[in-house]
Amino acid sequence: MITDRSGKLIENVCDLKYLTEMMGGKKHLIKGIMDSFLTQIPEELQSINDAIVKVDYGVIKNFSHTMKSSVSIMGVSMLIPVLREMEALAASAMNIEKIKELNQELTLICHLAIEEVQRDKEKFI
Amino acid sequence: MDKKTKVTVFIVDDNKVFTLALKSEIEVAFKDMCRIEVEAFETGEACMKKFKEEKPQIAILDYHLNSKNPDAADGIQILDMIKKANADTNVIMLTSDDNIDIALKSFHHEASDYVVKTETKFRKINYSLFNLIKITEARNETKTYKNVNFILAVFLALVVGAVIAVTIIKPSLLK
Repeated sequence: MITDRSGKLIENVCDLKYLTEMMGGKKHLIKGIMDSFLTQIPEELQSINDAIVKVDYGVIKNFSHTMKSSVSIMGVSMLIPVLREMEALAASAMNIEKIKELNQELTLICHLAIEEVQRDKEKFI
Repeated sequence: MDKKTKVTVFIVDDNKVFTLALKSEIEVAFKDMCRIEVEAFETGEACMKKFKEEKPQIAILDYHLNSKNPDAADGIQILDMIKKANADTNVIMLTSDDNIDIALKSFHHEASDYVVKTETKFRKINYSLFNLIKITEARNETKTYKNVNFILAVFLALVVGAVIAVTIIKPSLLK
């Protein structure tokens, strides 16, 4: 269990209610999107990590931007402000230390989200 | 709209999770309205390869198409290519930026609609898609009526012409 930015305890980082409603409860569609999420998120995290090492603000900005769509579909709403801040800092090409700090939070929550999606995927088989 | 009417929609976005979710959502939402076929592409270049063959009625295009591949064409460049290849294709431009300049730029390049990717993005895209399908349907009906009217006018002209010709050449036939 982790806490969000306001200090509130969070049991699950993902909220699949939105995705389930959107897909009209169709299990094969939900599972397909979950599979895509499980493949894409580690790739996107890797790209951000590589860009931080190279201090490539353009790539950090682009991937923070695109990750907002991926995580919002899985209902990981607590990551939206983190990604927004990363994108804004990268856009102004400043404060790599703060970006590193935000990236740690991003990585931690993404790993929890991946674990949850892997676990919940069983329900959609 | 007839459920047999085929509507082809192309989605172009470099985020696979998003395109897959949007594709599935559209197929679920419009399944009772028409025979909707949705194809998703990660780059504008891949979309344009298929575009000339299929000429979709609607394209949903992300403004930031070069976030993962900086060499890829951006949304506005692809919008121009689409309009050049088939001016009748309606384009819905998507962006995460609620920026009036991007909206104006999209409309100047002949986008039909502009949707900001907020939490309600799927509902807004469906609403826009519904309107565009209705507009396309109305346009097709107008085209059909025009063709029918043209054929009737030609037929009538031929009949009148034939009657005049007979009146001149062999008036006894009309008695």
